[in-house]
Amino acid sequence: MATTEVAVSPGLLLPPLTEEDAVRSWDRSRVHHARGHSKRWRLLWLLVGPGILAMLGENDGPSMIAYASDGAQYGLGFFVPFIPVLFAMAYVCQEMCMRVGAVTHRGYGELVLQRYGRVWGWFGAGDLTLTNLVTLVAEFISIRVGLAYFHLGSGVAVALGLALVVFTLSGGRYWRWERIVLGMALFNGLFLLAAILVKPHVGALVSSLAFSPFPGGSFNTLLLLLASTIGATVTPWMIFFQQSACADKGMTPRDVKHGRYDTAVGAVLAAIFGVGALIAGAALRVGGHQVISGIQGFAGAGFPQALGHVAGGAAGSVFALGLIEAGAVAILTISASTAYAAGECVGVSHSFNSSPRNAIVFYAANIGVALLAAAVILIPGAPLLSIALNANVLATVLLPVSLVLMVMLANDKGLMGAWANKRSTNVIGVAVIAFVGLCGAAYGIDSFLQTIHLIGS
Amino acid sequence: MNTEASVMNDAHHDPGIRERDLQPQERFEDELIMHLERDQFVAETSRPVPRAALSARATAGLWALRVFVVLVSLMVIYTFIDQLR
Repeated sequence: MATTEVAVSPGLLLPPLTEEDAVRSWDRSRVHHARGHSKRWRLLWLLVGPGILAMLGENDGPSMIAYASDGAQYGLGFFVPFIPVLFAMAYVCQEMCMRVGAVTHRGYGELVLQRYGRVWGWFGAGDLTLTNLVTLVAEFISIRVGLAYFHLGSGVAVALGLALVVFTLSGGRYWRWERIVLGMALFNGLFLLAAILVKPHVGALVSSLAFSPFPGGSFNTLLLLLASTIGATVTPWMIFFQQSACADKGMTPRDVKHGRYDTAVGAVLAAIFGVGALIAGAALRVGGHQVISGIQGFAGAGFPQALGHVAGGAAGSVFALGLIEAGAVAILTISASTAYAAGECVGVSHSFNSSPRNAIVFYAANIGVALLAAAVILIPGAPLLSIALNANVLATVLLPVSLVLMVMLANDKGLMGAWANKRSTNVIGVAVIAFVGLCGAAYGIDSFLQTIHLIGS
Repeated sequence: MNTEASVMNDAHHDPGIRERDLQPQERFEDELIMHLERDQFVAETSRPVPRAALSARATAGLWALRVFVVLVSLMVIYTFIDQLR
């Protein structure tokens, strides 16, 4: 890492200041000023970011399509309360990431690698790269589906996604990157607008809060539904991203309270917007039947178009724009998580506060993974729909290992001291891991046994 | 990137700058350093944390989970490829 020596009073023995330190210190000076002058709202404004981005970033293209698909296939019952429950689970996991990042000032990848050995570090990075690549392909598909509603093709989707990645990286500052992506992420609210435009029946909404009716269909369909919906809420990239982003932002233990607000606000917004997509999708269910035939309707601009036919052009347009936004924001956050993991595992500079010259691996991984995913959607005849549908399931299956290591880090008194997990957090954390692991594994095993004809469907 | 630190660095080593001109710069540098906790400096975070001693049970549990997750992932990927056909 390039260092720039600065004048330090003799005897202080402070380490050399890098350009990354200088930029981070500049951002921290504003936090200190706001805290020193009791400017509460200013302090909150300065400290929010990683939590909202992790949560709204996970309200990505495949997730919103999964929620809308749930609504279209099964209606509102069960899912309206189930989505907020899942985001409550996500809050438990993400709060741990934020806390570990703020206390240790290190990312998840480097901590696992250094604390538990290279094998676990590289396994984690391998899982992340695989799921991120598949998910990024799905994000480009989501943008393509949204753009197809406005008669624009794959080339535009690729150009838009890549241009955004390069543009947001160009500033050489974490703060700039975060604020641009945060501004874009708020447009996730378009799904709420879509839900309002379809004019849902309030009585049906209220009655769905009783977790009923439970979705019907085969056991395997139910497992797929659970696995993909969980994968739409908690994923490995969120763990890598939020911890690294908190460290990159320069958060400290004094900021943990605001970090919790940030994560909670993100979870609430993501749950509301996710339910919005579900409600919009449920509009395609008229008289207990799905208007569009099966999931294949999502292949082109099918979903927004079907919504346009049922609920009016405005609802279709808003939903299409929402898909473009969801895909675009997720491309930025997921690429960033890959870049953090690459830099942390290789052991080189991994910060938006470093210049590309000083953090080549970080910037190359950020752009490279997006480029690779973009190339896949340009391949003629590539199974894009299957990739999009399986992205969340794969993330769910690979998630338990990341979560277990996360809980271990958050319990590590040598690292966390007084900030280590409390017993209640551990109980909830273990329950979340067990639930996620069981759903993912049950779907994987059941599908496999059906595929090799050991059991019937 | 032309950061405050690099600008200050250039100024500090320029013999043409007199002592009284350096004082406000140095104060600013000290302020910059003051805003970071000691263990936030890149020089500090670059030092690896000590390796934790995992018990044999914990290591076995992690390996069991890892093998299980890889097996289930392979099943999901196999199913995905089969569906494509």
